[in-house]
Amino acid sequence: MIWLTWRQFRAQALTVLVLLAAAAIVFLVTGLRMHHSYAADLAACAPLHACDGATPAARALGAQIYQLQRSYEPMFMLLQLLVIAVPALIGIFWGAPLIGRELETGTHQLAWNQTVTRTRWLAVKLAVVGVAAIATTAIFSWLLTWWAGPLDQLKGDRWAAMTFASRDIVPLGYAAFAFALGTTLGLLLRRTLPAMAITLAVFVAIQILVPALVRPHLLPSTTTTFPINQASTSQFHGFSGSQTEFHFDLPTPQGAWLTSQPPVQNSSGQVVRIEDYSGCFPGLDGGGQGDDPDLGQIGACLAKDNLHQTVTYHPASHYWPLQWMETGIFLVLAGALAGTCFWWIRRRQN
Amino acid sequence: MIEFHLDARSGIPPYQQIVRQVRQALLLGLLTEGDKLPTVKEVVAKVAINPNTVSKAYRELEHLGLAAAKPGVGTFITRSLGHASLTEHGPLRQELRAWIDKARAAGLTEPGIEAMFQNTLRESAEEET
Amino acid sequence: MSAILQAHALGKRYGQRQALADCTLEIPPGHVVGLVGPNGAGKTTLLKIACGMLAPTTGRIEVLGEQPNGATAQLARVGYVAQDTPTYASLSVADHLKFGAKMNPGWDAKLAQARVEQLGLNPKQKAGKLSGGQRAQLALTVAVAKRPELLILDEPVASLDPLARRDFLRYLMESVAEHDTSVILSSHLVSDLERVCDYLVVLVSSRVQLAGETDDLLAQHHRIVCTRRQESDLPEGLQVISAEHTDRQSTFVVRSERALPAGDWSAEHLELEDLVLTYMERPVVHGAATAMQPTGEAR
Repeated sequence: MIWLTWRQFRAQALTVLVLLAAAAIVFLVTGLRMHHSYAADLAACAPLHACDGATPAARALGAQIYQLQRSYEPMFMLLQLLVIAVPALIGIFWGAPLIGRELETGTHQLAWNQTVTRTRWLAVKLAVVGVAAIATTAIFSWLLTWWAGPLDQLKGDRWAAMTFASRDIVPLGYAAFAFALGTTLGLLLRRTLPAMAITLAVFVAIQILVPALVRPHLLPSTTTTFPINQASTSQFHGFSGSQTEFHFDLPTPQGAWLTSQPPVQNSSGQVVRIEDYSGCFPGLDGGGQGDDPDLGQIGACLAKDNLHQTVTYHPASHYWPLQWMETGIFLVLAGALAGTCFWWIRRRQN
Repeated sequence: MIEFHLDARSGIPPYQQIVRQVRQALLLGLLTEGDKLPTVKEVVAKVAINPNTVSKAYRELEHLGLAAAKPGVGTFITRSLGHASLTEHGPLRQELRAWIDKARAAGLTEPGIEAMFQNTLRESAEEET
Repeated sequence: MSAILQAHALGKRYGQRQALADCTLEIPPGHVVGLVGPNGAGKTTLLKIACGMLAPTTGRIEVLGEQPNGATAQLARVGYVAQDTPTYASLSVADHLKFGAKMNPGWDAKLAQARVEQLGLNPKQKAGKLSGGQRAQLALTVAVAKRPELLILDEPVASLDPLARRDFLRYLMESVAEHDTSVILSSHLVSDLERVCDYLVVLVSSRVQLAGETDDLLAQHHRIVCTRRQESDLPEGLQVISAEHTDRQSTFVVRSERALPAGDWSAEHLELEDLVLTYMERPVVHGAATAMQPTGEAR
């Protein structure tokens, strides 16, 4: 049975092997070069934020590092997209035809009448191709996580939706899920193409919905309320605003994931505008941003109005727990889908 | 070795066709005592018929005393049926000729004569069984 | 040995549609069984239930003495070739043999190899590139080489040209002669069945209309042509299968276990095809239609 699964999977496996090899070369060649440049730039200025420091030399180095990041930005986005796409492609090209194609062409009638039970047939197929799916995704994820190391540090944003979903272990959960989803749809619909299409649609929907609706709520987040007065605003890093609202850049812990940043509100919870307090914002009328104005002074001016601004965030320490939880959730879903497949196979209603 | 053929349209059961073909071969001298009949497997591999049909035919031949089975070896012809070549049946042939002339005189055409002959032959065959 | 297939009131329902109803059969071993009936009569359903691909909704069935539940012991004893003889298009002929060897402990590799050579198949050729007849032969080889006690074939020659059809049946008969396999094959071509089948099951409108050894069935049925009369005017012990009347003449197809009594009619036996057609054309009789029934019960 393992021989049969491999023999049927052979062409797809070789295709992916070739693609993986090509990708690995791209990753390695560009990655080594980038890591080298980064290390060289970094060596020239010790801790990162010191590169934004006061001396022209430090600032020049800072600009150079920033240039490094910008030059790799397009490739960064592309490779992230690739690693996010890998589970989807696996679900579509490995999952949907796994059982779907057999049902479509009738070859299941050939397989199910040999001296192998259906359950074993399904189990071996799922196991062999499933393991291949997770291994392939793991390699891609590992390559990207290594490759993007310096850029992730520079950008300081591991929490961006595309970034979180393409690093470390989360892609494995997605791979297992997409594969199981494709297989189940192929089994239930008995047609490969519709199964492929629906798998893609569901996957895209999940990539859009999970970061916004699910991920933030997997662990309790912290909400801090900052009163607007001189003491607090002198700690802030800047502010920005529009016609209808404004907010300050609050001093949140480094590496935190800001999940909710409502604008400045008054004590009754209403959003307030710059022009309501135009006296405290000299030289600006209803629009603009800048950290040139003295924030402490603005705060002193606004103190009497009892304003506040809240922010909700996950600290940096939540990164790995959230990775594990999200991976776990999708592994469980994959298991449930696989269970559905086994149940359906045993029903013999054809 | 004798080869059998099946005429699906003749109305004669397949096993009987085999018996008759063996008989005919004996009459024509194509088979003689001691000749081996093809095995059931050989027959069905050439002619797509049920092996039981062949077995049944061979049993019938045994019953008629024309053949005998030697276990493990095969089925063999046990007697010959007069090498009579067709020329030896002169009187029969003359009678047939006379009858044909009569039939023609009565207005039957060749197809009609053939049809009557086939029909009567078939009837007599059915009665025989 | 007991029956190869025993079914009692077997039925299969899909939602509103009754694919198979009230099937009762007892098929003895050592036969090539022809399952014949119009399209949609339930032949495929019956065969799929027999090999364990489908579960019945009512009644019970035993094949080779066991319920077809998909356990490996049963799977080893029953070979099945589905309609259109599916094969793996991207696997070669040799791959198919390897497939058979890996999936069946009882695989007879010599037999399979000999057969592939005899057929003249190129071992390296992908099954998708074979002709229809070659694919059918390959599928049959795979089924036969696992040395089953029973072979179930669903319309195996329906889409083959006459030469391929003949070749297929010849090989099938050769296997039967050599290995003593029982076969159940379905077809809607009666002419093929006539040569190879010695047991017949007629399935019409999801029900079994007739079942028995072909020779017996042919001996039991007669076509009677006589002057115009009612069914009840016929002697007792004759089951009337069909009746046709013109203003002067009646034609009956009757069945009787004993020899036909003498009477003022002309009687002849039917050809197998006529017999099957007679049963296919008559209105469906509910209840056990395979056993003998006294005159007048056929509707």
